[in-house]
Amino acid sequence: MRSFWAMVRANVKMSSRNRGALFWNLAFPALFIVVFGAIFGRGAITTFHVGIAEPASEFGEAAAREMEANPAFMVSRGPAEEELARLRGGERDIVLTFPVAEADGRPAATLYYDMARGPSEAMAVGVVRQTLNELAGGEPAAAIEEEPVDAQDITFMDAFLPGIVAMNLMNAGIIGLSTAFVNYREKGILRRIRVTPFPLTSFIFAQALSQLLVVAAQSIILVALAKLLFGFHLRGDPLAIALTVAVGGLTFLAIGFAISGVARNAEAAASYANLIAFPMLFLSGIFFSMDAAPGWLQPITRALPLPYLVDALRDLMTRGAGLTAVWTDLLVLLVVFAVAMTIAIRFFRWDASGAD
Amino acid sequence: MTTTASDPSTVPTAEPIIEAQGLVKRYGGHVAVNGLDLTVYTGEIFGILGPNGAGKTTTLEMIEGLRAPDAGTIRVAGLDPATQGDAVRRLIGVQLQSTSLFDLLTIAELVELFAGLYGADDSPERVAALIAMVGLTEKRRARVDQLSGGQRQRVAIALALVNQPRIVFLDEPTTGLDPVARRALWATVHSIRDEGATVVLTTHYMEEADVLCDRVAVMDHGQIVACDTPAALVRSLRADATIRARLSGPLPMAELAALPSAIALDCGGDERCADLRLQTTDAQTTLIGLLALATRESVALAGLTTAQATLEDVFLHYTGRAYEVGEPAAERNERRGRRRRGIN
Ligand SMILES: Nc1ncnc2c1ncn2[C@@H]1O[C@H](COP(=O)(O)OP(=O)(O)O)[C@@H](O)[C@H]1O
Ligand SMILES: [Mg+2]
Repeated sequence: MRSFWAMVRANVKMSSRNRGALFWNLAFPALFIVVFGAIFGRGAITTFHVGIAEPASEFGEAAAREMEANPAFMVSRGPAEEELARLRGGERDIVLTFPVAEADGRPAATLYYDMARGPSEAMAVGVVRQTLNELAGGEPAAAIEEEPVDAQDITFMDAFLPGIVAMNLMNAGIIGLSTAFVNYREKGILRRIRVTPFPLTSFIFAQALSQLLVVAAQSIILVALAKLLFGFHLRGDPLAIALTVAVGGLTFLAIGFAISGVARNAEAAASYANLIAFPMLFLSGIFFSMDAAPGWLQPITRALPLPYLVDALRDLMTRGAGLTAVWTDLLVLLVVFAVAMTIAIRFFRWDASGAD
Repeated sequence: MTTTASDPSTVPTAEPIIEAQGLVKRYGGHVAVNGLDLTVYTGEIFGILGPNGAGKTTTLEMIEGLRAPDAGTIRVAGLDPATQGDAVRRLIGVQLQSTSLFDLLTIAELVELFAGLYGADDSPERVAALIAMVGLTEKRRARVDQLSGGQRQRVAIALALVNQPRIVFLDEPTTGLDPVARRALWATVHSIRDEGATVVLTTHYMEEADVLCDRVAVMDHGQIVACDTPAALVRSLRADATIRARLSGPLPMAELAALPSAIALDCGGDERCADLRLQTTDAQTTLIGLLALATRESVALAGLTTAQATLEDVFLHYTGRAYEVGEPAAERNERRGRRRRGIN
């Protein structure tokens, strides 16, 4: 145990001295926070501009009245084509049409939105959908167990930051760990460790734990920054958040570890890592919602681990939900962890030349 | 060809601490170690001498448990590195040939870390003592990435000592060092042995094997061709001396080889034998014959010397060719790597 902590201490020390990695892991997400925060404002209230097509059904009229009474919405009415044109022109966040004929007696609505409107669009869609579901008495609501916070309290940063924390966890694992490990292998450091009695599993877990500690510290700094500059509100149970961060972190560390085993050398590891991390970054809903992505993209999005972590962290940190709301996300992440770990162990090599 | 001749009376104790028999290691089709036998006795400084690519590193790393032999048995203090690796690793200290360390730690931190990994004494006093032993006290707070190659090598040796090992393996500890640093390192190796450890080291420097080692195994093409104390190896040649000269013209090879008392001739692969090396059991009679032959053929001898036989002559005697260090494995691997990546 003493040897394990000696290794963890040394790893944390080395991470803190690795200026380049520190910059990328801290300055990069901090930049996102500052830039996006500056663009979308520290505004306590985000106003969603909703267009409602006329004529609307009875349900539609009720929805319009409800939204008009809510300062989070700015409601305009007009013929469907005009409202849709305004959506495309950027004057509306959302356009709703309410077919007069309600199919099999259920209230119906069609929700139009425009991906190009950027990160706030995901929030707009979420909030409008929630409002409609509530109004319909839970129908056609999906059985989402969440504790919806008042839409008025959710700032842009509240919804944005969990994604940035998730991104950071992913980068630390997929890019950080894989490059560190391949580097250790190519330089012969792994072989040097191998002639000590320190077990490989301890070395790997020490590596994982230290990365996790470093990325947790970074996340705290990012949260503090967002709070200071943009009045970020942290909701949810800190223990549940810590657990989710740990599960997500371990999952991506395992993926990074698997990459380091499969890749022949440092260049290959870097390209695999980027090949996996970058698409995932943009398909995860951190910067814009994937709800409106073309159908063929949906299964791909659902097969990637990052969106699950983003969703879980948003449920916890933005909506203040409890663990019960995110356990399926955590389960998916744990499955990915197990698969990645299996690959990592199968392809593990001590030696760059592959001879032993 | 394999010889394990050894004279136990010349070593401090005659108790074997490492025994290897019939070791074979292949890389693909290439046989790197080819049926090697080896015995190291407790308390000696044992050297493996050979040119680059001879199989020294492979042999050492099989004994350390880093590479699995394709055939043969190894016992380290009675333990099998393949099945009792953990116990073996606690007994040994290792400096690998390609020394690379955690660049972002200081020397003191690195020594402390490795002591921690062994569960050994990692107190500041012990760390300071280890660093002093390799002469890096004034550098102890310097980060590894700020050290010279020789200093890193010494750090690697300090790390090989953190667990007070019974056997210390040093793979080419002095390669790339300047003569002053090399001599300092020899002193360190002696002090390691004086503290009770057995030292097994590899080198491709003849002089180093001669001066530093109690016994030397001469290695070539994956086999040990001779093994004994340096003095006994030279004696075994029955060679009195080596005659060297540069010839201004060709001399008949057959007659050169047949000169009285001559036992081995080396022309470095040159047909004209411009650079002559002749081993002899009696320098005087051979010299008289050589001078007569040169006079008859009107060939001038420049830079004529006779020298006491050395380990180089041992190598020549057992392998049939002059000793050349050859290209270091690191550069060869580097080139191989570049080729693999299609760069050149
Ligand atoms: N990992 C490896 N893969 C393939 N060939 C190797 C490997 N390591 C060493 N060799 C080859 O085995 C032979 C012996 O190498 P080595 O043990 O490093 O010799 P030495 O240490 O005496 O220079 C050389 O021909 C070398 O190219
Ligand atoms: Mg070698």
